[in-house]
Amino acid sequence: MASKIIASTVRRSLSPKLLPLIRPLSTAAAAAAPAEPYDTSAGISMKGVKISGRPLYLDMQATSPVDPRVLDAMLPYFVSQYGNPHSRTHLYGWESDEAVEAARAQVAGLINASPKEIVFTSGATECNNISVKGVMHFYKEKKKHVITTQTEHKCVLDSCRHLQQEGFDVTYLPVKSDGLIDLNDLRNSIRSDTGLVSVMAVNNEIGVIQPMEEIGEICKEFGVPFHTDAAQALGKIPVDVNKWNVSLMSLSGHKVYGPKGVGALYMRRRPRIRVEPQMNGGGQERGIRSGTVPTPLVVGMGAACEIAMKEMEYDGKRAVKLKDRLLNGIRDRLDGVVVNGSTERRYAGNLNLSFAYVEGESLLMGLKEVAVSSGSACTSASLEPSYVLRALGVDEDMAHTSIRFGIGRFTTEEEIDKAIELTVNQVEKLREMSPLYEMVKEGIDIKSIQWSQH
Amino acid sequence: MATPSRSEILTLFRSLLRSARQFQDYNIREYTKRRTIDAFRHNKTLSEPSSIAAAFSDGQSQLQVAKRQAVVYSLYAPKIKSIMDIKH
Repeated sequence: MASKIIASTVRRSLSPKLLPLIRPLSTAAAAAAPAEPYDTSAGISMKGVKISGRPLYLDMQATSPVDPRVLDAMLPYFVSQYGNPHSRTHLYGWESDEAVEAARAQVAGLINASPKEIVFTSGATECNNISVKGVMHFYKEKKKHVITTQTEHKCVLDSCRHLQQEGFDVTYLPVKSDGLIDLNDLRNSIRSDTGLVSVMAVNNEIGVIQPMEEIGEICKEFGVPFHTDAAQALGKIPVDVNKWNVSLMSLSGHKVYGPKGVGALYMRRRPRIRVEPQMNGGGQERGIRSGTVPTPLVVGMGAACEIAMKEMEYDGKRAVKLKDRLLNGIRDRLDGVVVNGSTERRYAGNLNLSFAYVEGESLLMGLKEVAVSSGSACTSASLEPSYVLRALGVDEDMAHTSIRFGIGRFTTEEEIDKAIELTVNQVEKLREMSPLYEMVKEGIDIKSIQWSQH
Repeated sequence: MATPSRSEILTLFRSLLRSARQFQDYNIREYTKRRTIDAFRHNKTLSEPSSIAAAFSDGQSQLQVAKRQAVVYSLYAPKIKSIMDIKH
């Protein structure tokens, strides 16, 4: 007994750093424990990079921070109202179900749909899978053809590849150099056995807005279901399922300042579009997506959609102002800056820039105090330049130096100014060291050089 | 509900700005401050008593949300502050 007291006093008096040595981790836990980032008094050191504080966040297309108002709506459903919405027999189930239905109405309100047309899923990736594979499998007797674009999100392209392996035909529409599809291309690709046209509303990498109303009209003319991945568009540009004439729409929670792990699929009732479910089970969500509906996440997404509806105009105006400040601030001090994608038909909060004569990886290495991304989060693990930029026809070297700045609701002018400062300094530093840039300054045309091969 | 008086509106405005200061997160703090100022400026021109009362009660509920969330955010504030709070 006395030894225990002594041991605990000794333990308490030792510095926190020595504590882990006294009680080493068991082998299983040691294997699972990740390398801890250690907090020095000066800042954080992680993955070999030292920064003095948390970076400023300019990567809104990857994900967005949860709005405090959304968190406020979600917490009661984690703390006390934790029932399963499918339990019909007690208060916990009834109040949970009420919350889910209220959230459904909030999501439907933002896209001008009826709540009966909304199915909650685990995210836009699942929605895209249900839309592409589910629709084609349901109508597989008569419809064998899918039309999509080359700049779609990886989940749509991968689902289409999966369909190709099963024997369906897929047409990948090319895009023009501004990122928009050619409507005549679309018109000419539609066949009598086309079962689905899938075009994303706002591209996650370059931010271009496709001509949704025109595409909807063409699909209506030919009677082809129109699916759109509106994950990046929701809450940023006005989305109307009737104006766009969409049959299916994928929505994501964590792009509209909601929680991660939730999404919603819009499925038109008139005329009815039918899908084969990808998740089988107890028949929840009208049989389309079985599984317990996660009440807190769904409530969060509903709250986020309601806030987005109120704040869309304010946030939109601010995004334009901040984007202009960023672009002009960089262009004032640097030349050779190219905006990837159309400048007119674009969501202002997504600015994808390429810096000539600079190497992309080294640029990113020097921008550790700004959280930005090059290429999309899905593809930045590989060294290949983004397929979206390749589809735009951007040169390999320019595609490698592309940086995507994401501006959002919480971005401030000071953050933009600091981002300009850091980017310009880093680019100037790299160009200083670059012999290619020296040659360009002297007036030599790089493309005409015959590089000797050793 | 009765139309709020000028002093009540000013008190609400000051309370919202005070709750903004409680946030440890740089972005949320700046957003709350900025949004409050812009919203009050935008609603300054409201003349109809019912719309003034509606905006006032909306502001009051936002104040309650801000007060609660300031506590929650402070409980989970990261040890290292944002770069924007350190330099400058």
